[in-house]
Amino acid sequence: MTSTEALLIALPAVPVAVAALVFLAPSGRVADRINLFGAVLTAAIAATLVVLALDAAPGVAASGSWFTLDVAAGVFLALAAAVGFASALVSPTYLRHAGRSWFGERRSHVYYYAAFNLFWAALLALPLAANLALAWLLIEATTAASALLVTFSGKRSALEAGWKYLVLTTLGLGVALLGIVVLYAAVGGHGPASLGWDALARSAAGLPARTTLFAFVLIVVGLAAKIGWAPVHNWLPDAHSEAPPPISALLSAALLPTVLLIAWRTQLALAPALGQTAVQELFLGFGLVSLAVAVPFLWRPLPWKRLLAYSSLEHMGIIALGIGFGTPLAIAGVVIHLAGHAIAKSLGFYTAIPLLRQDPGAARRAARGVARFSPSTAGAMTVSLVSLAALPPSPLFASELMVLLGGIEAGLLAVAAVAAVLLALGFLGLAHALLEGLYGGRGSRGTGPRPRSARAVALLSGVAVVALLALTVAACVLPGSDLVRGLMGGGA
Amino acid sequence: MNAAVAALVALGIGVIVVRRRSLATALVALQGLILGVTALSLEGGDSGTMVVAGVILLVRAAAIPVLLVLARRRTPERTLVAPTTSVATRLLLATAVVLVAVAATPPLGLGDRVAEHGSVALLCLGITTVAVRRPAILQVLGVLVAENGVYLLAIAVPGGVPAVVELGVLFDLVLVVTVAIAFAGKIHERVGSGDTDLLRGLRD
Repeated sequence: MTSTEALLIALPAVPVAVAALVFLAPSGRVADRINLFGAVLTAAIAATLVVLALDAAPGVAASGSWFTLDVAAGVFLALAAAVGFASALVSPTYLRHAGRSWFGERRSHVYYYAAFNLFWAALLALPLAANLALAWLLIEATTAASALLVTFSGKRSALEAGWKYLVLTTLGLGVALLGIVVLYAAVGGHGPASLGWDALARSAAGLPARTTLFAFVLIVVGLAAKIGWAPVHNWLPDAHSEAPPPISALLSAALLPTVLLIAWRTQLALAPALGQTAVQELFLGFGLVSLAVAVPFLWRPLPWKRLLAYSSLEHMGIIALGIGFGTPLAIAGVVIHLAGHAIAKSLGFYTAIPLLRQDPGAARRAARGVARFSPSTAGAMTVSLVSLAALPPSPLFASELMVLLGGIEAGLLAVAAVAAVLLALGFLGLAHALLEGLYGGRGSRGTGPRPRSARAVALLSGVAVVALLALTVAACVLPGSDLVRGLMGGGA
Repeated sequence: MNAAVAALVALGIGVIVVRRRSLATALVALQGLILGVTALSLEGGDSGTMVVAGVILLVRAAAIPVLLVLARRRTPERTLVAPTTSVATRLLLATAVVLVAVAATPPLGLGDRVAEHGSVALLCLGITTVAVRRPAILQVLGVLVAENGVYLLAIAVPGGVPAVVELGVLFDLVLVVTVAIAFAGKIHERVGSGDTDLLRGLRD
């Protein structure tokens, strides 16, 4: 076994071990420490693998029957690891005041960390999966643990959100599994290896076009239910708004993109059988519908986390468009967009911790006048929403521009024009929501002393600003790079 | 095979139509049994695959239904959760779903059109069950009907689906059903009923 293979095994094994170890913790404080130690170790392993993957771009750093450490794996592993690590750091702050949960107050830390680490383990393994069947199993594995986390507070609304998430995504994955079985039969059914990305790409040209298209549509439509693409997104706003903030960040900034990677890898592998137009149309359709559904909600006075949830729908739509356009420029835009969205959205969800401590009513109505009672929370909200709205110098401005120019380059001017109009409307909606959130309403709604979480979020805001600006710089050099070349040939 | 597929689809329609959770659970258990026996009869004597098919039969036809029966006993309803639609409407809807599924399914290349049609019909019946039935346990049964549709297609694939994948899918299914049953219990504890309609509070 090589050292890389050992790291690939250790990556999901460490969080799984932490999930078991926390049950031995005599108190919540000890569980916090075990989780923190595990998170540091997991992040270090993930960082090493990411460096190895990106260093080998546009080639593949390591691969086997069940795993691949290619460029796509490196990019998406970086997302899942970074957001998971940040959520692990923030979780004790959330749990300190979470009170009663589904699991009772005394052992709530233990069950939270167990579910969190099992969810994270599956998320970390997912980008490395070299096989469609294995990827499906890992996606389904994320469902059980994350559904429990969505319902962690035990509130009636959280139960509703968790139930909806569990049932709808399981049905969606059932549809995707049917597509995988159809595809397996189409490739001749020579054992699980025939569903590997490389094997699929090799056999794609000889596959029957109609059956393969049917399988592809079933797989992508089924995965769309988990990615949260409209019109199969109904669970998304509820789950993101009811989950604990660190889990909302993990759902939005890591789970959705990582599942999207599997749809993307399937598209890259099957493109020779389907032709570019068919796969393009499906992704562009999901992208435009997601944008069109999300934008009107960005104009409504929604509770903070619900607003961020609809923003996730918008951003998953932009990423779908970028993949659908498929030009090197659009793909470079997708990479920047994934990273920028992860940073800005995670910060937004973490900001909900101090916000809801000081203004608990903001869980059920739009936040108002936050700048008057908590400048640090208002600052974090500003960094998050300004970035998500794609106001320059946000890297999301650069990435959206690259995606749209990529669309024009692909000859899809009408699609790019419609997307540009929707993005402009989305920008105005978020800008309006930010101004109302900071200065709207009368008087000061916030109560009580400034929570410690406000200081933590202020610190995270500083880190996020530096990371976002670095991404904006990276956007200037990414097009034409080995990384983009690796992604274009990516999973296949 | 044809008779088995017809029975599976008829049982799937039954899950949408019947009122009682206990009867619907029995129908899904029977589906598991028919699927298991069909899988065993198609395996052709390979001991390894026979063992896998046997395990799947036991889990689908016995273990999961037992879990659901226990969940139902833990969540007694004072009165039946009244369906929003009549029996005739549900029967009509289920029949229409089957007919549309059969008409819309292109050849999937398995060489067994009946299994292909039955599989897609069961998947659609499962989704319809979730959409039209309110009790949480019945919605879990809808998910199982849909999964049974996928399993029907899997056993109809010439040479079968790899055992490691079948067992992985089974493990995930048990995991999701276990979590769903825990949810159903919590919903009952929280709202005094397994009626998921009582949870509809999240709207924009």
